[in-house]
Amino acid sequence: MAFDPAILDAPFTALQGFNWGADADAFKPVDAAVVAAHNDAGLRAELEKRFAALLGGGASRATKEYVCRKLAMIGTAVSVPGLAALLGTAENSHMARFALERIGAPEAATALRTALAQVEGPLKIGMLSSLAARGDKASVAAIAPLLRGEASVAAAAAEALGTLCTPEAALALAAAKATGDVAAAVTDARLACADTFLAKGDRAAAKAIYESISAAVGAAPKTHRERAVRVAAKRGLLAAAD
Amino acid sequence: MPLRRGVVAVGLLILAGSAPSPVAAQPQPPASREVFETVVELIRSGDADLLPVALEKVRSGLKGEAFTRELAEEVLPSLNKPQDKATLLAALADRADKAALPAIMAIAEGPADATVRAAAIRGVAALGGADEVPFLIGLLSSDATTSKAASGALVAIRAADVSAPLRAALADQDRPGPERLALVGILAERRESSALEGLLTAAIDENAEIRAAAIKALGTLGGPEQVPGMIDGVLAAQSGAERIGAERALVGVCTQHREKEKAAAALLERFEAADPAVQEALLPTLARVGGPAVLRIVERLIASPASRERAMGLAALARWPDASVKDQLLELIRTASDGAERELLLGGLIRIAPLPDNTLDPAEKLALVEQAMELCTRDEDRRRLLERSSAIRTVETLRYLLPFLDQPALAESACLSVVELAHHRTLRDGHKDEFIKALDRVLATTTNAEVIDRAGRYKLGKTWERKKAQ
Repeated sequence: MAFDPAILDAPFTALQGFNWGADADAFKPVDAAVVAAHNDAGLRAELEKRFAALLGGGASRATKEYVCRKLAMIGTAVSVPGLAALLGTAENSHMARFALERIGAPEAATALRTALAQVEGPLKIGMLSSLAARGDKASVAAIAPLLRGEASVAAAAAEALGTLCTPEAALALAAAKATGDVAAAVTDARLACADTFLAKGDRAAAKAIYESISAAVGAAPKTHRERAVRVAAKRGLLAAAD
Repeated sequence: MPLRRGVVAVGLLILAGSAPSPVAAQPQPPASREVFETVVELIRSGDADLLPVALEKVRSGLKGEAFTRELAEEVLPSLNKPQDKATLLAALADRADKAALPAIMAIAEGPADATVRAAAIRGVAALGGADEVPFLIGLLSSDATTSKAASGALVAIRAADVSAPLRAALADQDRPGPERLALVGILAERRESSALEGLLTAAIDENAEIRAAAIKALGTLGGPEQVPGMIDGVLAAQSGAERIGAERALVGVCTQHREKEKAAAALLERFEAADPAVQEALLPTLARVGGPAVLRIVERLIASPASRERAMGLAALARWPDASVKDQLLELIRTASDGAERELLLGGLIRIAPLPDNTLDPAEKLALVEQAMELCTRDEDRRRLLERSSAIRTVETLRYLLPFLDQPALAESACLSVVELAHHRTLRDGHKDEFIKALDRVLATTTNAEVIDRAGRYKLGKTWERKKAQ
């Protein structure tokens, strides 16, 4: 039996005025509709339309977070513009990313990449994290230049490149001229990248990274961290050669 | 920055020697000579950070017997430090390639440093089988370090037909006593059920230490079928500590084993068929097992006109394992005309009244404590009863104890019991106000430093660590 959208009117009205601490029972039918929408394209479209209206309107933060959680489950390219509009707002950016990380449509990755160029500081770090979580290899070219930026963003960029681990990402990491915490993040990212290459069977690429790191840390490490890096590199070298 | 923290954590784990392999999912290709040489170089370098990396390769990399032999026959002898040798021996043992066994055996047999020899002996256990057991048994009468390692190796060795040579060695009366004694412990620790016959023979050995160890082992490994033999062990034990230990082992089988009823029946059957002297020797054990059939025997003895039989029966009743005989004890205490007899029975009642078994519920236990208190005529009995009553962990027990704080001769025992009850947080927190007031009274009464410390801690909601028995 087809789902009757009219029964969602009252729950969506309740959701429009929802805030934390208020009774959430009134819009429980929305939860049920979201579950039903997995096998009902028409219902999914109806829900995305109604959710988009909530995201674009003056709904509370609590309502928008609820909507983002639901769109993470059923969202399609249709919902991307509404979510993308929230990426630049400190209050909603992380929940919008939560949804966009999980929406399979390529438009979601494009929205995150676009926002990466537009936002700064913690929000930019968030975009890097989400692009890495999506495994969006197309964003490597946009991320690599950030290794030369502000320290916290550069460290996050290094982490993202280590996760994405394309040959281009490995090259960008190898070429990074970093110091301090950023240098540590770059080294960790390179080790992660080498481990990934090794797991995929690219022993030569892995070995090159391990050798480079081993040479950089030297035979007489001074700090505990340098010792740990030396051990990780040596262990990787043995694994790559064995 | 989760990734960065993760990589550092992996590095730190590697330093600790416990990190997972980064390529755990990859099949190992044939080991290369280059890797082998790097591993050897790292082992010889003495670099504490990189040695675990090299040993990890020894344990699970560098596939092939040729590498195993080279590590065991060439690298191992070339190391100078005993600790380095012991570490490589442990790694070769973990490698589980028998190709290393001849070289490791040579070290275990030879005059190596004690630490190295012990590591080699452990290696023999890891790689060897039944053929190596006689050698390991022979080491049991060596110096302390070697015999300890050999004993551990004989417990650990896992191969077919290992238990047969162990059993044969235990049965060999010509072997030195220390070896046979160690073998009893080894068979027990291995939980060798095939050794039960041998342990029963050892339980009546001429050597008292072997007897004691064997019957103790039977206490954990034995069942109803071993009860007749264990009875022989009890009867062979010298009075004192050995007899008490033997009785405890037999009681354990008759009260703890999954077929305890069958075991107890076997004990009773043997008792009933025995001559009076043996019955007298077995009665204390039988009484500790308890049960209706035994109670009938005990009551018959108590009713006997022969004073010796009556004394045996009363002693048995005083040893009863639970409070099911409380009515008999109360009646006998009330009617006793002999002071020693009354003292014996009252001791039994004081012991069973608060026992944490399922015979009585807490209210019944406390009521029995009150009845026993009324029967006490000596302060030492009252004190013992007060101290034992803390086993009844209820707020009613606390209320019962409090008036005794005002009796100087009994106050310290009551204080001890109050803090003992307060030790149990659930009880204490459930009746916080009452306990705070009681602990204040304890602090105002006791002169015992430990009790003062405990009371102060419990008032503040803190815990107290009980000293371990020496």
